[in-house]
Amino acid sequence: MRVVVDLNRCQAYAQCCYAAPERFVLRGDEMLVYDPAPPEAERAAIDRAVLACPVRAIRVEPAAAEGTA
Amino acid sequence: MSDADGTLFAQVRDPANRPDPYPLYARLRAHPVARQDDGTVVASGYAAIRALLHDPRVSSEDLPPAEHPPTGNPVKDWIVNPLKDRIADRHRPFIFRDPPDHGALRRQVMAQFTVARVRGMKQRTEALVAECLERCAQNRTFDLVEDLAYPLPVTVICELLGVPREDEARFHAWATQLATALEPESRKDETLRACNTETFDAIADYMRDLIREKRRAPADDMLSGLATAKDPEAGRMSDPDLIATAILLLIAGHETTVNLITNGMLTLLRHPDEFARLRADPERAPRVIEELLRYEPPVHYRTRLARAPIPFAGTVIPEGAPLVLLFAAGNRDPARFPHPDRFDPDRADNQHFGFGGALHYCVGAPLARIEAEAALTALAARLRAPRLAEDPPPYRDGSSLRGPKRLRLIIDAIA
Repeated sequence: MRVVVDLNRCQAYAQCCYAAPERFVLRGDEMLVYDPAPPEAERAAIDRAVLACPVRAIRVEPAAAEGTA
Repeated sequence: MSDADGTLFAQVRDPANRPDPYPLYARLRAHPVARQDDGTVVASGYAAIRALLHDPRVSSEDLPPAEHPPTGNPVKDWIVNPLKDRIADRHRPFIFRDPPDHGALRRQVMAQFTVARVRGMKQRTEALVAECLERCAQNRTFDLVEDLAYPLPVTVICELLGVPREDEARFHAWATQLATALEPESRKDETLRACNTETFDAIADYMRDLIREKRRAPADDMLSGLATAKDPEAGRMSDPDLIATAILLLIAGHETTVNLITNGMLTLLRHPDEFARLRADPERAPRVIEELLRYEPPVHYRTRLARAPIPFAGTVIPEGAPLVLLFAAGNRDPARFPHPDRFDPDRADNQHFGFGGALHYCVGAPLARIEAEAALTALAARLRAPRLAEDPPPYRDGSSLRGPKRLRLIIDAIA
């Protein structure tokens, strides 16, 4: 899977950092650092992050390789 | 704003409408920003609430000045209590503060509300839920509020803060009393205000001692962290701010979560198909909880103050007007959510106001999600044939922190 965060939307509510701390981290007060290609095994945590985002800035897409699969 | 029914918000506060305020919210939304007869301005449309949440002219400092009622003891009435009132006014908890003070206080709390600490409570929360259910294992009927929804959050927040277990019972009583301070009624009701002041003094004294103890022997808990940490800009938090913050965390972490769990179970039992789906697939819990936060939120509204005239949609909110941001009405705005009155966990783009928004977005949101998920998935998995003993259930008085006073369930068994 491929994770895309719309950083124009992101307002650093940090809810994703609690939902999937291995893949989303806030640096300082506002800068979100995230893993755009988390392992499939973490889908449940990533889904939680998507749902918890108050501004719905996180999207999950199929990875390029599995796009046509 | 002029031709709206100016009594609608008074009707919202009328306990008779507590079980189903949503038809009133729909009428309020006909004027997304509506002036009420008493001068209060109620924002009930999604776009209006969102705009006002982000508007710097909208202040959270809307509490009346602290005021101890006369005791007849001149030392108290002329020296001690006025001093306490002055300190209280200058050191409001950060939910009632604006920038720039708000930012530093909130940052210091967030620094202690770490991912590790919050996620560390997950297993503990699940164990506490299991304990609560064990205690009811022989019953064919139980009260979800008293037996689970109420004791769970108070234990969780006390453990996070570092309040000794033996003091929890006292915290129950204090939290319940002080939660009424968030209701607009309490600011007019003299007896209630006096009672809240007394409770506040008691809990502040307790916290002062506990903080001293934490400084002497810091442990791995939030209160120790808050009492000893130094913010790079703001330095160490002052004692009055620390006390106010601790009290806020206790109340906010408590009363609201009770409602989330109880409203959640009520809603699920009113939608048995969704309850069955959650039982079959616990992974649905995060969706279910986000939709609950929209559909039956624990906090229906918060109050604010207009610091300047605010033009909005052809009208002007006057300077000094008390404002109500009616989150629960915005959550049902058909202009924002298709079929808003349908409980649909599969709803896309669910940007609800269940945790408020903007600067004051609920600090405890991640903890609330953990507690609600632990409680609702366990209830779905373990209760056999649960049904409501009464529908609607009796509600507590609050129209802002709205939730059932009790939720009696009849069950065949607890697995």
